[in-house]
Amino acid sequence: MLSQRRYRLKRHYKFEQDDHKYVADLETGDIVEVNAVEWEILSRYASQTQYQIVEALKQQYKVASIFDGIDHLERLGRQGSLLSPIVGGVGETATDWDGMGRHPKLLVPFDFTQEKSALDHVVNLKRYQLLTHLTKYAELETLTFSKDAPEAGIDLGEMSVRHIEVTDDNTFSPAWYAGGGYTGILLLSQFLLDDLFFYQVPDVPIVHCIEGFQGLQGRMLETLLTLNAFQDADNTLVVKSSWVKAWLDELGIPEEKVCAIPDGIDVVSEPLGDKALAKRHTAAIFDNPMFVKQPVIGLISGFEPNCGAAWISEFARFNPHLAIFVYDAMLARHAHHLPENVVTFSVDNEKSRTILPLFFQALDLVCFPAVPGTPLSVVSEAMAYGAACVVMTKYGMPAEVTGAGVAVASDWDNFGNFRVSMRHLSETINGLLAPCSARATFEDAAKDVTQRFTWVKTAQEIARLFEAGPHRTKSLSRTTKSLFPAIFCRQYNPGTGTVDTCAYRHGTGRYEHLETALAEVLSEHHTPAEVESVFKHFQRAGSAPTCDTISAGNRCPIRGGQETNLAKKEHWQKGGTSDECQDIW
Amino acid sequence: MKNFFPKTLHPLHVFEENEVLYAADLEKARVVELSVVMAEMLKFAETQNDQEIQRTLGNSYADDDILEAFERFTALEREGLLFNRGEGLRTAFVTEGQRRKLLVAIPGIAIDSFFDIETLSAGTNMALSQMFHHLTTSVDLYFAGNQNRKLAERMYEVNMNVRDFKRLSRRISEIYFGILTLHQEHERWLFPLYQQKELPPILIQCHAPRGHGGQAINSLLRHYAAMRDCDGFTAPSDYVREFYTDYVWDPSFFNTLPNGVDSKLFQPMDKVTAKREIAEVVGDARIETMPTVGYLSRVQSEKGASVYLKLAELNPHLLFLIAGPGLGRYASRKLPDNLVYVGFHPREKLPVIYNAFDIYCFLSMSGEETFGLTVLEAMACGVPPIVPNFDGVPSVVGDAGLIADAENFDQDIATLVSYPCPMDFSEKINLLVSNTEMRETLSEKARERAVLFTWDKTARRIMELFEELHRKKQLMNPNRLLNVFAPSESLTSEEAEILEYKSVVLSMNARYERCLMRNAVYPMRVEDGLVLSVLKDHTVREAEALLTALVSDETEAKATLKRVRGLINATA
Repeated sequence: MLSQRRYRLKRHYKFEQDDHKYVADLETGDIVEVNAVEWEILSRYASQTQYQIVEALKQQYKVASIFDGIDHLERLGRQGSLLSPIVGGVGETATDWDGMGRHPKLLVPFDFTQEKSALDHVVNLKRYQLLTHLTKYAELETLTFSKDAPEAGIDLGEMSVRHIEVTDDNTFSPAWYAGGGYTGILLLSQFLLDDLFFYQVPDVPIVHCIEGFQGLQGRMLETLLTLNAFQDADNTLVVKSSWVKAWLDELGIPEEKVCAIPDGIDVVSEPLGDKALAKRHTAAIFDNPMFVKQPVIGLISGFEPNCGAAWISEFARFNPHLAIFVYDAMLARHAHHLPENVVTFSVDNEKSRTILPLFFQALDLVCFPAVPGTPLSVVSEAMAYGAACVVMTKYGMPAEVTGAGVAVASDWDNFGNFRVSMRHLSETINGLLAPCSARATFEDAAKDVTQRFTWVKTAQEIARLFEAGPHRTKSLSRTTKSLFPAIFCRQYNPGTGTVDTCAYRHGTGRYEHLETALAEVLSEHHTPAEVESVFKHFQRAGSAPTCDTISAGNRCPIRGGQETNLAKKEHWQKGGTSDECQDIW
Repeated sequence: MKNFFPKTLHPLHVFEENEVLYAADLEKARVVELSVVMAEMLKFAETQNDQEIQRTLGNSYADDDILEAFERFTALEREGLLFNRGEGLRTAFVTEGQRRKLLVAIPGIAIDSFFDIETLSAGTNMALSQMFHHLTTSVDLYFAGNQNRKLAERMYEVNMNVRDFKRLSRRISEIYFGILTLHQEHERWLFPLYQQKELPPILIQCHAPRGHGGQAINSLLRHYAAMRDCDGFTAPSDYVREFYTDYVWDPSFFNTLPNGVDSKLFQPMDKVTAKREIAEVVGDARIETMPTVGYLSRVQSEKGASVYLKLAELNPHLLFLIAGPGLGRYASRKLPDNLVYVGFHPREKLPVIYNAFDIYCFLSMSGEETFGLTVLEAMACGVPPIVPNFDGVPSVVGDAGLIADAENFDQDIATLVSYPCPMDFSEKINLLVSNTEMRETLSEKARERAVLFTWDKTARRIMELFEELHRKKQLMNPNRLLNVFAPSESLTSEEAEILEYKSVVLSMNARYERCLMRNAVYPMRVEDGLVLSVLKDHTVREAEALLTALVSDETEAKATLKRVRGLINATA
């Protein structure tokens, strides 16, 4: 269990006199008068978390007065009395659950009924697989809230369900319960609004698994940027492929905050028959003889739907000699009038899921764009039956399929526009379709993906992220508070006769740069990414003082003066050179 | 040699922890480590003298240990620990019952000086002294100092040297209805107090809104930014609030608190008698025969001394009297023959001096004249004043005197802000000298107007202000809303991919309470989010200063602040 404290209780002595309660700080010699609830809190502070203290005392005292008491004591701590701030991290690291042979206890707070109806069948299946496998490496618990006793019949396998009774006087948000002894929080929701509260729970590492959005990449981008803003050093975004990680890096989301952990893949262990038979079945199912007459290309599409149909049509017309099997979760339901050499498919239910391996087995080659919407797990499953791949990629050959195919350079933007040389792509595909030793090597490598991506590995890697979390160096940005906070005020300059805003530090009696003080103040409540957002907004808005002062050398408040990829990118988009990027700040 | 013991002890709690003895000084909120001998000595500290204690403990402890304990106690006493300095609080203040108590904190000015009126040379100090005495009709005044003692009826000095600032704050909030202090440019002790939410309202008397090389305005702007919603300034005239309207968004923090005048002391008397008395004191018979113009002030440039000299040169047919602590640098000059220094006189003599003036001239140009107490005193004596048309003085005079032209340097708020026009002053002086009817009418009006300014009114107004501030304090709400900032992509253009930025406020606050309708986030502009974040630990006025710098449209900036305050108050 984590101690959610940023202060150490100093050597002290409590005593009562004349109906007053006092605590003597034996390290500084200070005496502090406390009230009854603070007296109780002090008795528990060294051994209990905030959650435990509040839960233990809430029958006896009003919740607000308990929070006030903790606030007061920690405020004293900032002033050096009774508590001393812990530099560099939380008071106590996690109980060594691994060393004790126990598993980490993870909260998996998702509204499974709501999510289930909103996610496609494959994502739901994969989520089920992940949680099932993760129970071998972690204790999983989810929350339910209701006024009555928990519903009977909720069976989540080895995942336990914690029922929270909703009462009229219980005003706690679900995030409160995350303080109740969890090693970490595993967030699975793709619905941004649901999970942001958990990011406010101090010192409980969060691993947030992000699915590839096939919808507007802009929407996904916004979600990810917002999540990034919320993240502390203990939190990790888990994406499913290396190209999503590369994309986020390009967007300025720091590499250390993102971890690419591919899903496990589910392949039928026994082949359904040989490729020719699979092709005949496929031709029969789609009532289309091209699958036995022409080379079959599996296009695993993650295109933005509005642009995807047009691109696939162009690709199909450019390659009339190919039978193109398109796996696209959204296009299959909405696209019409595609060229005759294209069929579309997606998994909507268990029946279609069962038949998918047959189609994959019929493929001669797998082709996919390495864009955020393309699910690596489907690509891998398609390749697992021995199909080499052609990757249309912006970031080079993805590590996940290295040795199992070739890359074709492509470009795409966050508006769904995708560009690749159709001639080059076609030549590459045709080259690989011809019998050659390289193809055989690729196909052998492709079969290995079943070994590379297993749910066991996925679960282990996710559990390991929690193991690493509590031991990381804690960002102090939100824990340190200046004893002499800056005062933002206006200042008359007798030399110029103007009145400007600046920051006055009463500890030193001096005026300071507004921007430096503002960054310091914001850092008390916000992550560096958020602070950066604020400054960039005002730079954009043309608040000249901000730009001037920061460029004059006050970069340190923001990411230690490191220029972000995001800044570079923005400047590049405005037509600047990378050298000129140095002047952005 | 004087005995160290017996001494009155502070309330103490002696305890042992890990085999070490300590005394917790509850008065000073400090723990002191004790030797065994010291702990024993404390038992006899209030009842026995040094020799008796030495005898009592001599059989049990070595002389050296006892000697060392004495030395240690002496050192602790020097630090103000363990032993009472001055009277015991309970015995000293037991008589006062349930009357409200105000804490008066004016560092830098010796408390005793307020009770020795002859030592007060500055008008501000004089005004404070008068105000304090009249305040005691409704409250007890406790002056923050370093000992406990009774100063005068209903006025005390209290030892505020307590190390535990939080505890000190709590004690102050328990005992006192308000804190009354004086704005001093270089004082920074108030800033930590502003951060203590529990403290009672703080009223800061402001007597110099500008001038002083810009330090006055900058100091006030700092205090304006840092003070809590339930604190405020007082200034003797509306002029200060009007002046600050150009520099702050909420001038209501500047409250007008007019000075008063002791209209029984300062009243008209027979002018011939007064002139004769002063003529005899000064040894200049012209005072009895010539029309007189008066000036009562420090004789300094910023008080208009040079202009006064010029007036004397321009009007040799009139006698110009100067009353003040000395002639300063003008003493070495050749002064006009019709300029007479009447010296520095005790306060009870001032009415005679004022009454010896036919006309009172007020010429200060320093930009710190919020009121002009001497003008009011002269008026109370029925002397018509002529004052320059700037700062707060004309509002005191009203139609009971003449307002002369002054060149106002509106853009210069750091140094001298005005120059009284000698020609216009001269013309108005001659107008009054030659027009007896006008002079007599203004004399009556001056007295009538002056008696409206009473110190009782000032004292009542102070208490009203504290009550208003207490109501504001009740309206203050904590800001526990959680918000974040994040980029969001603008999809308006496919040509250029541009990141916009936003803030979102969570419907859960820092105490995990659902403070908005549902579990969700609410997007808001970065400006709003910034204000929301800043208002967690900073004041509304600080947010105002930031918005002034960051948002060019003042209307929009003010709307932002209003919007966010509404959100905070609604979700508190």
